[in-house]
Amino acid sequence: MSGAFTDVAEATPISRRSFLGAAATAGAGAALASVASPMSHAAGTGDTASGAAARHDTQATYYGGPDSKSPKVGLRWAFSATVFFADRVMINSITSPTGRGYTSVGGGEIWGPRLQGRVLPHSGADYYKTTFSTYYMFEASDGALIFIHNRGTMRRFQSRPEPGQPLLPPADPQSAGWTRFRATPVFTAPAGPHDWMNRTVFVADAQRQSNPDHTVFTYYEVL
Amino acid sequence: MRDFVVPKTDTKIIGDVRLEYAFQLTAHYDPPSVSQTPKGSFRYQDIVSGEIRGEHLNATVYPDSGGQYDTVRADKVRDVDAHFMLKAENGEWIYMEHVGYRRADGYYRAIAYVEAETKGAYDWLNNTTFVVTAQESADQREVVFHYYIAN
Repeated sequence: MSGAFTDVAEATPISRRSFLGAAATAGAGAALASVASPMSHAAGTGDTASGAAARHDTQATYYGGPDSKSPKVGLRWAFSATVFFADRVMINSITSPTGRGYTSVGGGEIWGPRLQGRVLPHSGADYYKTTFSTYYMFEASDGALIFIHNRGTMRRFQSRPEPGQPLLPPADPQSAGWTRFRATPVFTAPAGPHDWMNRTVFVADAQRQSNPDHTVFTYYEVL
Repeated sequence: MRDFVVPKTDTKIIGDVRLEYAFQLTAHYDPPSVSQTPKGSFRYQDIVSGEIRGEHLNATVYPDSGGQYDTVRADKVRDVDAHFMLKAENGEWIYMEHVGYRRADGYYRAIAYVEAETKGAYDWLNNTTFVVTAQESADQREVVFHYYIAN
């Protein structure tokens, strides 16, 4: 993408590779390289595997507008959350005016450069209508309880969105691309080392996984 | 409470998010009114008018269709909460919501949630997640918002 460049000055000392290498050593992250950029919606743009890996590093990637005066906005991977779901219930149907879904959060883990811990078991759920709105708790490795209110659409990435074009139904709802969507959380964290989460906008990639039913969220700080 | 054990999995996926410039909004505001409330300082600012310009969306802010209803926190960060309506150049209505933070250090970022007619020309806005960065005039009466699609 021509509008993107990497801001070396913003780089943190923790690289994704060293982090994931440590995870693999701990037995938690085997075969990571092969899943680093699964079902990429940019697969047709000629990106190489190494290029995709570089974008996932903890360095910031900045994006610009149509002219050089446009302000830059950056993304940097902050942490990820693997969230396991328990119950899935519908009140009425999603197409009903009163359709409401309930998907409870069973638990999960939080891992990555800026936050580690677990999803507090049974701490909340997604109470969705046509868009999702999920409320639950993180428990950081230092014991801090962090509230997450996660909102978003369930637009999938079966195909690359084309501005100006209508949304198209997926060719195959079971295909991998149909499991990806975006999430936008707001966090409420206690004063202390996690306070930065109270004043940072985040955007996440989310990928549903089955058997067991869970979703992997990759949270990026908006810089 | 039921016991819950996180299954051991191999799903250490690092998902990708990239930004793609979409359009910009130049919004004109009335002066802000700040009041003290039990929930902190409340800052209301009427969005009087505005224009959106972009390759795939040109629209105006419907006059006096909404405003910005921010909370000014003890740490001086503003919790941004804006709601307003747009009228596209073909007459279709579009709803827009901003949720984000405006900090004293110049960081002003938000997520925009946008809703349009599903059978209209702007259906692509539905279910598209936008990341927004803002530039304020010195008197905070004019704000230029730049919208990026989170691809």
